[in-house]
Amino acid sequence: MSLDQTTDWSSSELMATVLAGELHDGEVAIMGTGSAIPQASCRLAQLTHAPNFSYIAGGTCSVNPYQQPLVASACDYRLLRAETAVPLTDVVLMEGRGDVFDIFFAGGIQIDVYGNCNLVAVGSWNHPHPRGPGSVGLPFLSRVGRTLIYTMSHNRRTFVEKVDFRSGPGFLEGPVSWREAGLMGGGPAMVVTPLCAMTFNPETLRMRIASLHPGVELQQVVDATGFEIEIEEPVPNTAPPSPEQLDILRAMDPDGLLR
Amino acid sequence: MGASKIVPISDAISSIVEDGSFVAVGGMHLHNNPMALVREIIRQGRRIGKLLTSPCGAMNADLLLGAGLVDELVTSYVGFEHLGLAPNFRRLAEQGSIRILECDEPYITHGLYAGAGGLPFIPLPRGLEYSDIPKVNPESYAYAEDPFSGERVLVGAPLSPEVALLHAQLSDAQGNAVLLGAHFLDRSMALASKHVILQVERIVSTEEISSHPMGTTIPAFLVDAVVLAAGGCHPTSSHAFYTYDEEHLRQYLAMARDERGTDEYLTRYVHQTTEALYSQSTTDRISGLRYEGSLEERGR
Repeated sequence: MSLDQTTDWSSSELMATVLAGELHDGEVAIMGTGSAIPQASCRLAQLTHAPNFSYIAGGTCSVNPYQQPLVASACDYRLLRAETAVPLTDVVLMEGRGDVFDIFFAGGIQIDVYGNCNLVAVGSWNHPHPRGPGSVGLPFLSRVGRTLIYTMSHNRRTFVEKVDFRSGPGFLEGPVSWREAGLMGGGPAMVVTPLCAMTFNPETLRMRIASLHPGVELQQVVDATGFEIEIEEPVPNTAPPSPEQLDILRAMDPDGLLR
Repeated sequence: MGASKIVPISDAISSIVEDGSFVAVGGMHLHNNPMALVREIIRQGRRIGKLLTSPCGAMNADLLLGAGLVDELVTSYVGFEHLGLAPNFRRLAEQGSIRILECDEPYITHGLYAGAGGLPFIPLPRGLEYSDIPKVNPESYAYAEDPFSGERVLVGAPLSPEVALLHAQLSDAQGNAVLLGAHFLDRSMALASKHVILQVERIVSTEEISSHPMGTTIPAFLVDAVVLAAGGCHPTSSHAFYTYDEEHLRQYLAMARDERGTDEYLTRYVHQTTEALYSQSTTDRISGLRYEGSLEERGR
């Protein structure tokens, strides 16, 4: 899916390059379900600016998979074409330790202004509509490094003022509750969608637009977001993927999962 | 060296799974789901009092739910990843006609550890109480005072299933089992459950197992029955053997949108067939699902 006909890269490829820019040499990242975009971003970072970056792929818990090829399922056997692998139980154990993993990729059927994620239920938990799949490891967002949130759905159903069910903690109810909780994790750092990249105002802890993807108007983001999003004008444009980045992404993605 | 535990699949289910049992079902997402055992449970109409998934259940849980055999579900995820939501889980949850013990991955992982070790409960890392999950599941989560710091700490109840239904790629006749790919929580389920029924792709000699003793994932003394089920994870994958059958899974997701379609699926792929016939009918599909460089293709 191309954003407009003058570009020859897709939303997913752009999102992978934006996320890759947030990953630093020497860090360790973890991720869960349906994670082709973060996996591509991690491998891209390793092959460009962050050769000593490590990442652990979903429930297979392979460490530094070679993405030969990039796969859609987080537990695919082909992810074991990797440097090594660790047992899932060890990864869960060290998520609790809290100082091992720097980045946790997250998402949700709802994401709110403070970066709280919901993978469980829209509406009441007893009578949800829709019922989400469940939260897996997202409660660890409270404890692990910083959170990078990504979603393909930038609309008012997904981006809400307050999640109906908090299954992945962000900045909780805002600055007061966040300070009182004194959590070990650093909280959400960035949200990437097909329209824009967003960060959080360090004072209000509310989501704000960081950059607009090429071809996207500011009003589009405002209209597609179910809360008042902070804007500091002028809003810069997201840098498009470089030819080198696109070459790397396409070499690992013969099945076109990101196209 | 002990006696062979290889039994026909119908005997394994009828003799070990009692009506109303607490059953753990192995595999994670679209992989290593012990579907042969799941289908046989449905054929025999065994009620499951409580069903535990690994952090992420898929077809294994959704089919049992669709068959109307599950009273309570202990899970942190039921879905089909990039293929979509789990239709029967979603429908039953939205109707309020299934009791859900909402969990997260750390609780299921550590809860099984507590079950395996006879721990009365297990404290959980600070911060997990900031999700809403413990609020809706007081049966699994509670608070206790940390005797060392005096702080309030979230704790989880041990998970001690009566039966674990698991898939292994290889096993000897006694049940010394090797998972050639990821272990997910299957090993934890074996350690925590009173009984283990193993379905396997291939039976190998004890000599082959004992040539790499540390490569054994589950020791035979934990295993009650071994069922030969080549292709038995279909339509999910069996690591190192074949990948998931996306076309079949999409067909299931389309049919299972309503109860009638779910019944049609169950009639066609479960009730009107036996596992031997199911295996025969999927042999060609499965050979098309082997990937280049799979361990099986390379020989072991």
